[in-house]
Formats: sequence, C-alpha cells, structure tokens
Amino acid sequence: MATLKAIRRRIASVKSTQQTTRAMKLVAASRLRRAQEALFNARPYHEALTRVSDSLLASAPEALGAPEGAERAQLLVLVTSDRGLCGGYNANLIRLAEETMAKARSEGLAPKLFVIGRKGAEHFKRARTPLDGERVNNAPRLATVGLARDVASRMLHAFRAGAVCEAGVIYSSFRSALSQHPTFEKLLPVAPPEGAAGAAEYLIEPSAAELIPTVLRSYVEAAIFHALLEGEASEHGARMTAMDSATNNAVEMIARLTLEMNRARQAQITRELMDIVGGAEALRG
Amino acid sequence: MAETFNFRLITPTGVLFDGAVEQVTAVGPLGEFGVLPMHTNFITAIAPGVITLKLGEGNYNEFLLAGGLAEVKDGAMTALAVEAEAPGAVDSAGAAAQATATEQRLATMSMFDPEYEDAAQALALARARAQIEQLRRAPH
Repeated sequence: MATLKAIRRRIASVKSTQQTTRAMKLVAASRLRRAQEALFNARPYHEALTRVSDSLLASAPEALGAPEGAERAQLLVLVTSDRGLCGGYNANLIRLAEETMAKARSEGLAPKLFVIGRKGAEHFKRARTPLDGERVNNAPRLATVGLARDVASRMLHAFRAGAVCEAGVIYSSFRSALSQHPTFEKLLPVAPPEGAAGAAEYLIEPSAAELIPTVLRSYVEAAIFHALLEGEASEHGARMTAMDSATNNAVEMIARLTLEMNRARQAQITRELMDIVGGAEALRG
Repeated sequence: MAETFNFRLITPTGVLFDGAVEQVTAVGPLGEFGVLPMHTNFITAIAPGVITLKLGEGNYNEFLLAGGLAEVKDGAMTALAVEAEAPGAVDSAGAAAQATATEQRLATMSMFDPEYEDAAQALALARARAQIEQLRRAPH
C-alpha cells in the first residue's frame, strides 16, 4: 500500500491538473462562442454568393473544366489545428485525408497535400509524406480572410496552370460542441449547378465568360474561408468536450484517492495504537 | 424625397451596410457605373476601389472594396466583397508606399507569372487606398 505522503502528493498533482483542464475548458468555450458567431456572420455572404455564382456558372459551363492536358493530380487542402488536447479532432481529420489520398491513387490521380495547422503538418512529416505546402502557427485566429485568399489563390493557380485536375478541402464540419464530422468537399472543377435559373434573367456586364474568373475566385475563397471557420469552431468544440471529460475524470480520481488516503491514515493510526498498547503490555508484564 | 432602394454590402465577416440608398456608384470592369432605383436585374464585377452610397439629404457613405461582385435583383442591390473597409481606417501614406513597391515588383514580372494577377490586384487596391482622401473630397 502506498504511503500516506505519496497519496497526498498524488492528490495535489491531480488537483492542479484539474485546475488546468477546467481553465482550458472555459477558454475553449469562450473561443467556441466567438467562432460560432463568425460562422453565423459569414452566412449572408455565402448565400448571396451562391445565388450569383449559380446563375453565372450555369450560363458558361464550358469555362469551368480543367485546362486540356492537365496533370492527373488532386490537390487536397487539409485543415487541422495548431494545438493538441482536443480529443480525436486531428486524428479523425488525418485519417480522412489518408483515405481520400488512397482513393485518389486508386483512381489514377496523384494526391498533392497542402496542410493548414501544425498537428497535421507534423503528422505527415513524421510519415515522410511530401507536402505541397503548409501554413502553421496561425495564432491567434485560424479563420482569417487573408489565409483563405492565400490558399485559394494557390489552388486556382495550380488548377489553371494544369498542375492538378481536381482540388478539394478536408475540414471538420461543426454540428455541436459534442459532434464534429470530418468532411471532404470537392471544389474544382466546379459542377455546373442543377436547375439554376440561369443568367437569362440578368443583364451581365461585360459577359458571363469574362466574369467567371472573378466568380470562381470568390467562390473558392468563400469555400475555404468557410472550411476554416467550421474547422475553428470544431477545434474549440472538441477541446471543450475533451477538457470537460478530463475535468470529470480528475474529480473521480480525487474522490478515489481521498478514500485511499483516509484508509491509509486509519491504518497508520491503528498501527500506532497497537504499538502503544503493545509497549504498555510489555511494561506491565 | 427621392426614391430609394435597398442596398447591402456583404463580406465574409459580416454585413457592413444594409439600408435604403438613392444611388450607388462603383467601378466595374467597363469603368464606373451607377445604380439607381428600378435598375434592371444585373450582375457585374467590382474592381478594387471605392464604392459610394448616396444616402439622401446630401449625405454620402463610402467604402473601400478589395474587389468583388455586384448583383441587382428585383430592385435590391447586393455587393459582395472579400474585404471592405471604411475610409476612416485607411492609412493613405502607407498605401502610397505600398503601391510604389508593388508597381516596381510588377514591372519585373512576366504576364504569365502565376503571381502576376495577385500583384495587379494588390496594386489596384493600394492605389485606391492612396487616393481615397482625394476621391472623398471630390464633388459627388
């Protein structure tokens, strides 16, 4: 049986861990609230852009495909987090990325991986998977328009130059603090929208074909920004849940250790009493 | 009171303006264009630069846009911009220096350089930033 002193030290250590996890949970909760707000604020843009791009893209579907002779390659943008302690968040994303890459290979497409977030980049470096590019240490905010524009412009250049014939993004879609779902979304080539009203009801200046590059750019930027927002909210949600259960585990562990400590103390008192009684008996005898 | 129509300026980080205006002026690929009430359904691109809203009673409101799209549908106008800022927040002097730097970089680049398009956009935006005070003072 562990000594009383060792158990006391153990309890103190678990308590300080509990304080840390509780604080991290609170921080994650407040960041989650902010991320959810940003997600909500982005919605009107997304809706309006979808309406405009649907009517334009439907009127010039020939401008959407990959250039002829494009390489049989697929560009994957993977959105992970910079920091850990968020449960299975990054592991789930990495697994989906590996599955998507395997699927691309089986279809004869060479996968090219672009990783956002330190956790994902570190994993693929350990696995010696060559990366097409990475963006790490995105503190304090992951979902910034600047990062989205940067990544979108790389993706569009690769697509237009014929370096890839497909491009997509893998991110964790946010359902609730308890549930995040790794998602693969194919962005390029854009599928012509079905049943869109078409451009007939609009006057388009200068022409649909000339506006397509602008629309595509906005579309990819918005899609990547959306993926970053969802990823950010999911990360904080996952961390909040993980830290909540860690705090609960600590509470349980402290209760168990306290019980053990009381038992050890009782045993020690009994032992001391026995010694005293034994000594008294010996003197009297 | 002149007739008005609804105008919304939307960016990915939120709705910056939503209200009634008398006229909207912005720069498109074919030059400056204006939208008045009862405009036909219309889609065009917006070049990096200033968008001016005429609010009525001699009041104007300007925003600096980093380029985007404009749509008029059923008499209401929506401008979509990746980034937009109110002119008060713009650092004109810094932008002028940036415009010069970008211009020099562009001069050494080939038209086919993948970064050419980005740099050209950045230049247009920096120029608009540098000129914004002038644009605002100009009589509307």
